[in-house]
Amino acid sequence: MSVAEAGLERSVARLNSLLEVSRALAVELDLDSLLRVILAKATAVLEAERSTIFLHDTTKGTLGSHLSGEIKRGALTLPLGVGIAGQVALSRQLLNIPDAYADPRFNPQFDRETGFRTRSILCAPLLSHRGELVGVIQLLNRVGGGVFGEDMEEMLRAFASIAGVAIDRARLVEAAIEAKRTEESLRLAHDIQMSMLPRAFPISPLLDMSASLKPARSVGGDFYDALKVDELIWFAVGDASGKGVGAALFTAMTLTLFRATARIARDPADALERINRELSRDNDNMMFVTMFVGVLDPGTGEVLYASAGHPPPYLLRSAGAEPLETIAAPALGVVEHAHYPLGRTSLGPSEGLLLYTDGVTEAQNPTGRLWGIDPLEAFLQKTGMSSCDSLARRLVAEVDAFAAGASPADDLTVMALRRAPAGRS
Amino acid sequence: MSLEVREERRGEGLLVWAAGRIDSNTSAEFEQRLMTRDAEARLVVDLSGVDYISSAGLRVFLILAKKMKAFGGRLVLCALPPPVKQVFDLSGFTPLFVVEASVEQAFGRFAS
Repeated sequence: MSVAEAGLERSVARLNSLLEVSRALAVELDLDSLLRVILAKATAVLEAERSTIFLHDTTKGTLGSHLSGEIKRGALTLPLGVGIAGQVALSRQLLNIPDAYADPRFNPQFDRETGFRTRSILCAPLLSHRGELVGVIQLLNRVGGGVFGEDMEEMLRAFASIAGVAIDRARLVEAAIEAKRTEESLRLAHDIQMSMLPRAFPISPLLDMSASLKPARSVGGDFYDALKVDELIWFAVGDASGKGVGAALFTAMTLTLFRATARIARDPADALERINRELSRDNDNMMFVTMFVGVLDPGTGEVLYASAGHPPPYLLRSAGAEPLETIAAPALGVVEHAHYPLGRTSLGPSEGLLLYTDGVTEAQNPTGRLWGIDPLEAFLQKTGMSSCDSLARRLVAEVDAFAAGASPADDLTVMALRRAPAGRS
Repeated sequence: MSLEVREERRGEGLLVWAAGRIDSNTSAEFEQRLMTRDAEARLVVDLSGVDYISSAGLRVFLILAKKMKAFGGRLVLCALPPPVKQVFDLSGFTPLFVVEASVEQAFGRFAS
């Protein structure tokens, strides 16, 4: 075989292996598998002892390594511009280094840590079809010694352009799947939360009641409930910490416990102690829920109540609104044997209570300012007597007006109840 | 709006200074910052620069306190601005923590 013939044969063999690479990469959509295939093919086709892919993290501006043989994401991270790979990432130009230790850009740190001895390096940028930096591919030590020739540079350029597009596509697919997963878990959290809320309140000619819950996009922790046990009305508003499905499940658990407990507990303090004991059990990730529970005798107006770390409700008196006195006690789920003090008050005819979660007072406007407690109090004084439904709606509208379109960071819940005017009982 | 966290070794303790918002957006990162480090026997968290803490933020401190208690470490929170103190108080969690007015007083706790 002549020299020319041998050269031609080699070129054909390489073209074939490139074709094979491009076929293999075309079908692989999973990023980890894709990287594994690229590294295996690169090491074989380009006759290197070892190959590494560095993926570009656009948010951090760093490169994270993926080594042949041991795929471990981000095992090594470098800033752009550092080391040979960092240089190539920055310049987007291929580098062919015949003797690594003679090159000042080479960082021998990795060799020292792994015991590997780097001799020659061939390194090329990986670009997407839009020309964005996807990463860098680096080949170490030509098999059999010697340096990487110009033919190998050409080969790597072709290889890198196929690999760059394939990695970019796999990352887009991965991001799309992740976004879909997040979206679905948010929807699930929202569905769990909403499905747990009561569809209707107990109907009594002696009592007007209304509630409104506005869920924030990624939170699922607020809840309210009211139920009639004998002639008494039990009512509650709460806010579970955390967000997403976890918070929604904790909420569901709390509501379920509340409904079961209201039928057997002596009073709201006893109910909170029982719910707290259940929620505190094996709660390693320290989820917690703030909750206010009251029980009203609609005939006499007597109210018993207890609070577990929840913002104090407002008494809607004939003379104006005033905060209900509550004694600090821990939110539920954290201190297993916590004691909850019982409070007692009385509502006259037409008087009521307004319960809320901190999504009201911590609503933010676009500049990041919080609504606060004073505007809430001012609103309640100004609004005075009105139906519970209209009070709840107007309060939510007031908060909306303040937020001026800023997307809420937390769920917002309002519950109002009011005894019937005198003469109706 | 975000959260800034700095660490400084002081004698045998570690001082962590946080500023900004500890809310559902920043709490995961804050938690990771505090939890992934080696067990710290004496930890002071200076909250003087924090202008908002949500329930997600409170949860980070509950987890931290629980973790430190498990291996006998000591955690002191200090310099809580009034709105932050109010959130701790309202949640009923203040008694679960050692709280001091200043960094100096917080480290003074370790001297005793």
